Amino acid sequence: MEKHIFHIKGLHCTSCVLLTEQELKEQQGVIKVVPSLSTHKVEVTGNFDGEGREEVMRRLSAALEPHGYSLSEDKEDYSIVWRDFTFALPIAAIFIAFFVLLQKIGLINFVTMSQMSLSTVFVIGLIASVSSCMAVVGGLLFSLSASFAKSGEKIRPQMYFHLGRLLSFFILGGVIGILGASFKLTPLMSSILSIGIALILLILGINLLNVSENMRRLQPTFPKKFGLFVFRLKKYNYTLTPFLVGVATFFLPCGFTQSMQLYALSTGSFISGALVMLVFALGTFPVLSLVSFSALTIRKKSLSGVFFKTAGLIVIFFAIINLASSLAALGLINPLFMF
Amino acid sequence: MKATIFSLFIAILIISGAFYIVGKSEVPSTAANVTIEDGKQVIDLRVKGGYSPKITQAKANIPTTLKLKTNNTFDCSASVVIPDLNYQTFLPSSGATKVELPPQAPGTTLRGLCSMGMFGFTVHFN
Repeated sequence: MEKHIFHIKGLHCTSCVLLTEQELKEQQGVIKVVPSLSTHKVEVTGNFDGEGREEVMRRLSAALEPHGYSLSEDKEDYSIVWRDFTFALPIAAIFIAFFVLLQKIGLINFVTMSQMSLSTVFVIGLIASVSSCMAVVGGLLFSLSASFAKSGEKIRPQMYFHLGRLLSFFILGGVIGILGASFKLTPLMSSILSIGIALILLILGINLLNVSENMRRLQPTFPKKFGLFVFRLKKYNYTLTPFLVGVATFFLPCGFTQSMQLYALSTGSFISGALVMLVFALGTFPVLSLVSFSALTIRKKSLSGVFFKTAGLIVIFFAIINLASSLAALGLINPLFMF
Repeated sequence: MKATIFSLFIAILIISGAFYIVGKSEVPSTAANVTIEDGKQVIDLRVKGGYSPKITQAKANIPTTLKLKTNNTFDCSASVVIPDLNYQTFLPSSGATKVELPPQAPGTTLRGLCSMGMFGFTVHFN
């Protein structure tokens, strides 16, 4: 019987702990595995038949690599973090400045058609996709794509997200076409929803920055029992989670979405309401798909640090803007940002 | 580390520059959008991609009607919230919606926003 303690990289969540435990237990010779989320260490006990510590580490690490974790003798290195920020800060700033100026131009003022048609709806969708409320959808999608990209799943989760989004806009659009007014969220409900989403975005943004171990603990973690449940669902996790998030974007508070829903509601028929919402979602699709696939394009490890930090800063910026805006809309604080 | 602080400085400069440009055009309107009819004050606001004018100077101590005019407005600004009055509504995409205000004390500032909070307008009563 031998006992080894290794540092483990990439261990972020309760279900990751379960996953590493399960995976390592299946390896030859391993009897007992105790991973720790707080110290980022794993204690492995087993009969390794003369295998050296080095060899054991390499073998077990190889087994974990497909899941995005690795074992090492050293603590995860955070020293390069600050160098990444040197590039990430100005890039994020330029992006944010560009976005703020874009809002100023008032793109929506160019829509002057006196009659609503599906092509108008499409144009409104296009404009909405670069607006500040879609930034919330974009931020969620980006964080989702980035975390799936890190764990190896690339294209599939994003396709399920977009599929979920388009399907829910079509079906729910049709439903509100028939049902009418009873369907709407009240302003108070949408404010509370936006505050919740802004907080989630803030946490996701901080995670993208990947600054320190302490900050990682802020990550939303589920109780272990729920984690086990999620772990069993893991097979479906890559399809179900993105799909459901896509479906949920129908309810994200956004003025553009709401006025389209109102319009769909006024059509009074399933098929017209469904088409309005579908065409609107299609209008937002080009920008959103750019957002989701941009998280995948970065392959070079040296650049990915800068990329994720830039993205993290931008996501945090939108989270703060949305938080301030929703609090202002509730009348709790004076508005900080106004376009 | 030094370079990071330098780039943080540049980043702050770029962002505040953008907000400066956005904020600069907020010239307080003269009474052009305020009319008085039959002892009642009417404040006209155009609602599309925001509210214009953003800042209105109005008279205090007089019954006031806020007239929100929409014309193909499909963005957030159609969803109006006036926190102080506990007023919220979703304006029709084209039309005019009247909001009756009681006489306001001098020095009152009334603030309205869209429900997502990114657009807003202010009325000062003097």
